[in-house]
Amino acid sequence: MEDLLDTSALIQLRVDGELHELDVLAGRTLLDVLRDDIGKKGTHLGCKTGHCGACTVMIDGKVAKSCITMAATLARATITTIEGLLDEKGGLHPIQQSFWDEAGLQCGYCAPGIVLSALELVTENHHPSSEDIELALAGSLCRCTGYQSIKRSVAEACVRMYPADENIN
Amino acid sequence: MSLHPMYARPRDLEQATQLLASLSSGAVIIAGGQEIMPFINYGVMMPDVYVDIGGISALRGVNVESDEVSIGALTVHRDVQSTAEILERLPLLAYAAQQIGGGWQVHNRGTIGGNIVAMHPLYDIAPALLALDTDVELLSDKGLQRLSLSQLQNDSSHGLGSSSILTRVLVDTMLPNALWGYYKLKNTAGAYGSANAAVVIQMDGEKIASIRIVIGAVSEKLVIISEALDGCLGCAYTLEVGQAIEKACVEAIDEPLSDQQGDGVWRKAMAGVAARRATEMALSNLTNSSIKR
Repeated sequence: MEDLLDTSALIQLRVDGELHELDVLAGRTLLDVLRDDIGKKGTHLGCKTGHCGACTVMIDGKVAKSCITMAATLARATITTIEGLLDEKGGLHPIQQSFWDEAGLQCGYCAPGIVLSALELVTENHHPSSEDIELALAGSLCRCTGYQSIKRSVAEACVRMYPADENIN
Repeated sequence: MSLHPMYARPRDLEQATQLLASLSSGAVIIAGGQEIMPFINYGVMMPDVYVDIGGISALRGVNVESDEVSIGALTVHRDVQSTAEILERLPLLAYAAQQIGGGWQVHNRGTIGGNIVAMHPLYDIAPALLALDTDVELLSDKGLQRLSLSQLQNDSSHGLGSSSILTRVLVDTMLPNALWGYYKLKNTAGAYGSANAAVVIQMDGEKIASIRIVIGAVSEKLVIISEALDGCLGCAYTLEVGQAIEKACVEAIDEPLSDQQGDGVWRKAMAGVAARRATEMALSNLTNSSIKR
């Protein structure tokens, strides 16, 4: 049984398209690995308890709080951070552009997490209701906007990303 | 002894139970990590060994065998909310899982097994499971054990989280005419409840044939209330019956919690309010005429 134990684990992460093979110490968070080992500083540290959502990333296409995800448990995983949303020319993703245009962020600390939560929502549901948007974003706290401009930004992003669907309804 | 904690990812249940048995103490089982990582981040919990059960396929999946729904411990909240078998057969559980705080991020990684092992009075899964008279399956090197969740709640020798693994959650399919409700009294969308109530009711026409209520978030242990509600049996639901349910649930709370979710005296009173609202949610499935106010 002793041979099963090690102080670290070898993991493979494809982060924003780039493959990383890492030897991570037990107990380290995915947040620390992304920021300190891979340099993805767009993923923010907020509370370390899972309440605030600033550290949100996507693991295999599903949002997760990277501060309460132990890196060693991700033997093989695809991670999307806010930095992976830019297109090849460095242009903003339509959701990011909508947040910019509709004032969906002020200080911007929570924005990476909220934008990724919005991405999971609109990927699954091209026409979310106001309640759908609230549920999908419930895992993030914003102290600047009062949330209304965030909800408007997500709704606007849907219109921009799926204009063809508009004609179906 | 290593200065840094050790990590192991057993391939299967046999390897996991052997490993846990060989580690006398200080081992912590980790799956989604949503419960224990905050404790680890703040140094509240400092395990010697993490045993990661996330790679064990036997702990996954939802199966139905002769009307019993068997839910693998690694089933995440998001799947509890959306798996067809659970939505059709255990709608109360699917609904309660939607009320869990922390947002999609936590729902995508938090597991039903971890939620039960945490035995946290404020959590939303246990009230629903206790209302549905759920059994759980535990595995250690001493073998497989099946016991009811209510027994587990009163047993501190189970070793869950360190020496034994919760493998599956076993729930009988709800009867087709069962009515159910879940009410979570809370301050904000993502908050813990100040009083949670789950209810399952069988009606005989317009009369209550059976009723079982579970109160969470009000005392250290969840409280199952059924015999105290016998006075409601054979009655149609009226304002007076609702008040009797409220009173019985308040009286069932011995030592209410006082914490950030509210003062104990208020919490005890709210146990009754949550119970009545959950009951009215259940009965709202009937025609309005059956609730006489």
